[in-house]
Amino acid sequence: MGFLDNSGDIILDAVLTDTGRMRLAKGDGSFKITKFAFGDDEINYNLYDKNHESGSAYYDIQILQSPVLEAFTNNASSMKSKLISIPRTNLLYLPVMKLQTNDNNYKKDQITSTGNYLVSVDDDSNDFDSSTKKLVAEDGVLNGVSGGGNSKIQVQQGLDTSDISSTFIIDPDLNETQFILEIDNRLGMISHGGTTAAVSFIDDDNLASYFLSSNPYVEISEGAGKDTAIDVLADTYSMAIAGPRGNVLEFQIKASLDLNSSTALFTKLGSTYLINGTSFYYIDTTVRVTGATTGYRLDIPVRFVKKV
Amino acid sequence: MATTFKTLLNNDVTSTRTLLHEAIPLTGTIVSGTYLDSDGAEENIKNYAHGMFQSVYDYPYLSSSANHIFDLTVGYSDTSPLSASAETQNAKKINIYNQMAQTLVGYNDSGEIREFDRDGDFSGGTKMDSVFFINFARLLTKDEIKKGTFQLTLNVSGAYDEPTHDLTLYDTNAQNGYRVNSPAGEYGILYINSGSNGTPENQTGAGLIYYQAGIAVITSSIWDHTNAEQYSRDLGHSFSPTTGSNYFGSRAAAPHNDIYENFYDSLTSGSISGSCNGIRNRIHNIQFNNTTELNSTIYFCRANHNEFNYSSNPTYVADSKIQVKQTSLDNPVSYITTVGLYSSDNELLAVAKLSEPLKKDPTNELTLRVRLDY
Repeated sequence: MGFLDNSGDIILDAVLTDTGRMRLAKGDGSFKITKFAFGDDEINYNLYDKNHESGSAYYDIQILQSPVLEAFTNNASSMKSKLISIPRTNLLYLPVMKLQTNDNNYKKDQITSTGNYLVSVDDDSNDFDSSTKKLVAEDGVLNGVSGGGNSKIQVQQGLDTSDISSTFIIDPDLNETQFILEIDNRLGMISHGGTTAAVSFIDDDNLASYFLSSNPYVEISEGAGKDTAIDVLADTYSMAIAGPRGNVLEFQIKASLDLNSSTALFTKLGSTYLINGTSFYYIDTTVRVTGATTGYRLDIPVRFVKKV
Repeated sequence: MATTFKTLLNNDVTSTRTLLHEAIPLTGTIVSGTYLDSDGAEENIKNYAHGMFQSVYDYPYLSSSANHIFDLTVGYSDTSPLSASAETQNAKKINIYNQMAQTLVGYNDSGEIREFDRDGDFSGGTKMDSVFFINFARLLTKDEIKKGTFQLTLNVSGAYDEPTHDLTLYDTNAQNGYRVNSPAGEYGILYINSGSNGTPENQTGAGLIYYQAGIAVITSSIWDHTNAEQYSRDLGHSFSPTTGSNYFGSRAAAPHNDIYENFYDSLTSGSISGSCNGIRNRIHNIQFNNTTELNSTIYFCRANHNEFNYSSNPTYVADSKIQVKQTSLDNPVSYITTVGLYSSDNELLAVAKLSEPLKKDPTNELTLRVRLDY
């Protein structure tokens, strides 16, 4: 996409997304715009210079000069970061989401250190060397066959700052009670303990969205009989958040039947590499986690692997 | 409660209808004589094996850059004096006339196909029983031709290779007076040399222009040198082709030039494409304005002073601390570049981009007007 002409009046370039056109074509009334959000995808707030020598009028001069791209029609490519409405103006900190990778059951790939979570897609891959090498027994490998097992992905939310004690409770209006997970439905499904979650919808790009707000996926930070968030969470997990903690999201991934039974998607979307000297197909993808309250987004790298 | 979405209320959404017009000029040089190949054939003219009509492109039609601009064909009624079984493509010319009449004029109360009427009054008056048709592509006419803007300039004198004397047909004042008794929508009457807003010099129509269908129907009498209703002679243009004068033909080199003594000769002894070649060579200019009907829904996306002042942009915080604030007393600031319009299940249905970032803080309120056209 080109940049929009920013030499004159401010203009607004609007397009229907591919999903919008698809729903319009269905003619079943599913094309109904009911709400809006504002985004700031192009903005780099690191350019906000609070110490500009020319004064406050120049703090955001570089931000205001940011060129803006024409609208993407792909629904999955726009509105990556949304603006948030919070009536209070005195907030100095906002919660973020971080992966908890300290505990053994929550680590990323410990075998090849690719920085991904590995998901094995069939039994042959789980037990790829009958002598000693069992993939699912390794840290950072999720059992994509059962969608259960010990390895999990955990996302913690809270104020990641040491300026505020972790004994403080995060403001209730900033605590995420619902998480939106997006995953390529051709590759896998969100699960926990071997049970797959109910998918909310699948868009035209095969991107499945899950709205998760209850156990076992979301663990509430303030448990019954507990005084503070740290009581219930820190007793159970290592903490990735330095300051006050919000709720915790935990999930696993079950591989799709296509990946389990066929190599077609691996040859089309992926490649091969070696794990401990054995060749594996792989597909790299991301699972996107978005907080329904704050809109904060975390992209989690995932690698599906299948023994060649 | 922190939120990222805001619900659109009834007074935030409205719909409008807008008519857009574009000027469409078609010069005669596009229509004939510009794209000749080494064999003398015109590369922007497509003829078909069935020979029922001819397509005109703005560039050699085998190129992917070519745009279809109009089709041309001729026809006459089976009641026309021109109709005779011995004439070339007689049945096809009658079929064309009947097909177009079915679509544009319809049927009488006995179920018989009506003939094209010169003034649109089917109860009487002169019928146009031999005509040529210019069917404009939807690419040019869009939703309809704007009434009162159509002009067709034809050469009426001189030999086919040296045409002179222009005669222009206008749908004079059609924006204030047009006919609605066609099954194909509204139509106007084409008058000669009247000026688009003036009084017709010749009160008898020489053709019809169907605005929504994008079809011009012109009587063959426009080039008739023998008929009492010969228009150009009425207006003082003396063309008097005689036998062997080569009045009607194409600029394409032989054997593609199809030369005839006059238009009637081409209608009887020539093929449809042969007549079309001659017509193209006599077209000096065509121009009209098209109309596109835009139905729009406008969404007023309002950001009140206490809304959308924070961001979930990963660069908005460093160690959870808001980058644009030094103390908690500072106002939060955010910058809007994008408006997303969502369904109730959070699917992004439309997206709008601002040409430059808009600053949003608690001291201002913004209303962004997003218009979706259908």
